Amino acid sequence: MDNPLHPFELHCYLDFALFGFNVCVNKAVVMMWIVVALAAGLLIAGATSRRLVPTKLQSLTELLVDFIRGIILDTMGKDGMRFFPFIATLFIFILFCNLLGLIPGSYTVTSQIVVTGVFALLVYGMSVVLGFALHGIKFLGILVPPGTPGWLLPLMMPIELISQLARPISLAVRLFANMTAGHVILGVLFGLAITGGLLIGWLPFAFTIAMNALEVGIAFIQAYIFTVLTCVYLGDAMHLHGHDASHAH
Amino acid sequence: MPPSTDPFYAGLGQAIRIGTEMLAALIVGGGLGWLADTYLFPSNPWGTVVGLILGAVAGMRNAYRAAQNWPKSQ
Repeated sequence: MDNPLHPFELHCYLDFALFGFNVCVNKAVVMMWIVVALAAGLLIAGATSRRLVPTKLQSLTELLVDFIRGIILDTMGKDGMRFFPFIATLFIFILFCNLLGLIPGSYTVTSQIVVTGVFALLVYGMSVVLGFALHGIKFLGILVPPGTPGWLLPLMMPIELISQLARPISLAVRLFANMTAGHVILGVLFGLAITGGLLIGWLPFAFTIAMNALEVGIAFIQAYIFTVLTCVYLGDAMHLHGHDASHAH
Repeated sequence: MPPSTDPFYAGLGQAIRIGTEMLAALIVGGGLGWLADTYLFPSNPWGTVVGLILGAVAGMRNAYRAAQNWPKSQ
């Protein structure tokens, strides 16, 4: 049977040097282009027909935009809306990557930890820069949870530092691991269905279909969690402890 | 949108979030301890041990904090 990790291997279609960098156009890069083209095309097409009675595409676009707006308002409050373009782009890109990766024969870009890691570092770096820009050196107070007695500080500060540094890693690993694991399970089950033949192979095949349905849900959830946590981290940097009291759900 | 309305998917999202939250803090804590061991102080293996314990504590704390924000209705 084929190695279930085999579909994740990348081989260069095009390999050339540009300004001293080695540029390699592989399946993931082509898939990313397709994702960007499709997402941009659909959203632009949905947004240009500004009718009072919306077309199907327009109402879908409005639903999506309103959904992202809801996430931002829930987690960051009203002044978080200036991050709307960034967060909407992030959500839509990850969502389209996850969903298009489920089409057999295509490639899931988010199953490469390089992609998710760059996103996570970008988000976390942005929150740190934003925090220092807004609060100056007082931003380091994020390492001290409110209400900590003084003698606990030597213990709490390393713990808080670790939990801060764990943010980008958990963000990157979560998306990458869920996408990879889901596709490996699909690959193994489908391999079983093929080797099992008609007599017993229908059982893993039925599971493949069920798993595929679950994976569609996971694709939404992962994009949603990534976006919510982006908002939470940016909101933490903006509000600095005031967050919990004012926006408790 | 399915994930926000369906309670099954909402619960699944929370579960996925908490699991990685604990794992990542453990990785960071152990990694920092190991780095301190190998490059900063000749404290082998105590940096890794202390780092892993602090990482586990931080992971628990992260998971607890994430669970505090759950909506009450579930």
